Amino acid sequence: MFFHIVLERNMQLHPRHFGPHLRDKLVSKLMKDVEGTCSGRHGFVVAITGVEEIGKGLIREGTGFVTFPVKYQCVVFRPFKGEILEAVVTMVNKMGFFAEAGPVQIFVSNHLIPDDMEFQSGDMPNYTTSDGSVKIQKDSEVRLKIIGTRVDATEIFCIGTIKDDFLGVINDPGAAS
Amino acid sequence: MSFEPFNRLVRLAARAFYDDITMKGENQPKTGRGDNRGIAVVVLDALTKRQWVREEDLAKSLRLHSKQLRRTLRFFEEEKLITRDHRKESAKGAKIYSAAAAAAIDGQVVKEGDEKIKMHTHSYCCLDYAQIFDVVRYRMHRMKKKLKDELDSRNTIQQYICPNCGRRYSAFDALQLISYTDEYFHCENCNGELVAESDKLAAEEMGDGDDNARKRRREKLKDMLQKLEEQLKPLAQQLARVKDLPVPEFGTLQAWEAKLSAVARANGDANGGDPTKSSQGQGYGGTPMPFLGETSVEVALSGVEVKEEDTETDTKTTPMKVLPPWMIKQGMNLTKEQRGEVKPVPKIDQSSEPVDDKKPKDIKEDDEKNIQDEYLKAYYEALVKRQKEQEEAARRIEQQQEENRTSTSDQFTASVSERRVGMKFKREENENDDVEWEEGPPPSVNTGETFYKLADLNVEADAVADDEDDIDWEEG
Ligand SMILES: [Zn+2]
Repeated sequence: MFFHIVLERNMQLHPRHFGPHLRDKLVSKLMKDVEGTCSGRHGFVVAITGVEEIGKGLIREGTGFVTFPVKYQCVVFRPFKGEILEAVVTMVNKMGFFAEAGPVQIFVSNHLIPDDMEFQSGDMPNYTTSDGSVKIQKDSEVRLKIIGTRVDATEIFCIGTIKDDFLGVINDPGAAS
Repeated sequence: MSFEPFNRLVRLAARAFYDDITMKGENQPKTGRGDNRGIAVVVLDALTKRQWVREEDLAKSLRLHSKQLRRTLRFFEEEKLITRDHRKESAKGAKIYSAAAAAAIDGQVVKEGDEKIKMHTHSYCCLDYAQIFDVVRYRMHRMKKKLKDELDSRNTIQQYICPNCGRRYSAFDALQLISYTDEYFHCENCNGELVAESDKLAAEEMGDGDDNARKRRREKLKDMLQKLEEQLKPLAQQLARVKDLPVPEFGTLQAWEAKLSAVARANGDANGGDPTKSSQGQGYGGTPMPFLGETSVEVALSGVEVKEEDTETDTKTTPMKVLPPWMIKQGMNLTKEQRGEVKPVPKIDQSSEPVDDKKPKDIKEDDEKNIQDEYLKAYYEALVKRQKEQEEAARRIEQQQEENRTSTSDQFTASVSERRVGMKFKREENENDDVEWEEGPPPSVNTGETFYKLADLNVEADAVADDEDDIDWEEG
């Protein structure tokens, strides 16, 4: 799920940037530092949409670096248990398959794949129904439900299932071509 | 407020979940006379017939070793079925309850041994109906959910085991376990090939062909689920029945004692006023208070005449029909026990001794809704009537003397006066009937209970004759 929230961060800036473009420099550094990172609490920071407030800088003794408290608005992506996501399959093996929904990695183990789909090994390992009408392989797009998330300080990993109504392949690249 | 539906719930739950629990001491040999299965059920049953009870008294009346009982009770405490309270009491035990607030409330109080009298820690326990209701519901929910989830292998996080070193992984570790050489997961320790852990519930089914095993497992799970629904049906029904009833509560030990003693004091009943004291004096008979409460309910009912009587016989017969089929499912020896418990207790009249008083209630399982309704109606009728009287009596007292406004003392005095005034009262009945009692507080369940307890005390103190009197003038 996506959220638009306000976060705060203390930015350290090298004295060489102290000049007319200090603010720009600060913002670009903020983007570089924050976008794409993941915190267990808020999820993945997708994009910074604005800077709300830059507090008074504090010069650090010895180094000359200055610390600015910065409040910024950003879009974060945080997967939740029970959430339905669409994801792209990145890897298929006998134990199940891995998929990505943006920055989030999801594993769907084989017992959470419908019983009528069987694993086929080969160059392009895949799960296929007995009549061959549905196939899950690398780059397939699937809709899945998250049944568990593991949230570390800097990482979120999800377990998903496609064994439920309206879940499974939504676009098969192989079939299209 | 009726305990019976909840007591039935407790008894059903006891037989469903705690039937084959063995309470074992850590150092007790497994073989010896250690097989005490069923004790849990016995203890729970006994508790449904009591309120707060001193654990030694309970042990005595159950002919159990107090250590064994304590172990059982501790288990139930962990299961959240009962509330326990420990405190230090002087050997004499007198006046404890009045000093209860000051004295040690729980047994862990450090050292107060330098009090003049020697202090012993005594433990008390009682059922916690509200919590039991929740616990049983939760337990059943979990059981069903587990089976259902497993049945469609939904929402279960797959576990993996390394057959070499036994290390376990969950699907969350999948990323680290991928091997780029083959399509299996590999152990981080020994690089062994991990196997998905088959579900414990049907582990023994595994072995032959993958498909076959899976199918059979499903069947087994389905079977289990069905059995579960079937066997727990009485329990589920009882839960549904109890759902909207007010949950009976005893309050904390102190509050409960205070309530009772206040009642007793109001009655001028020197001995009965102090449950601790009386219990000290009479061994396990020391828990007479709780039973009294029940008795009074009985008395009130008998006042309501014929219609009421019908209901009682009805309610009495229904459990006979209802219980056996379920019991049989639980196992034969149990059935016998249950029957044995049921049969010897016919409808007991009010004159029976306090210990048994609670029993008839146990037996009357009001199963049908209408019966229940009728019962309730009659009950409330009696309740209102009584309250009216009490109201009136209180008024009288008010005139006589200044009254303090705390609600408890209010009620208690009221009840006393009722007792004192009893006969006089009859004459004025007509007058009371109209306006006066409208002013009175609505008959809340709580007050109702209190009143009954009061009435009970009277009964206890004055012996059976009083009951008769009561009934008489209620009809008059
Ligand atoms: Zn290993």
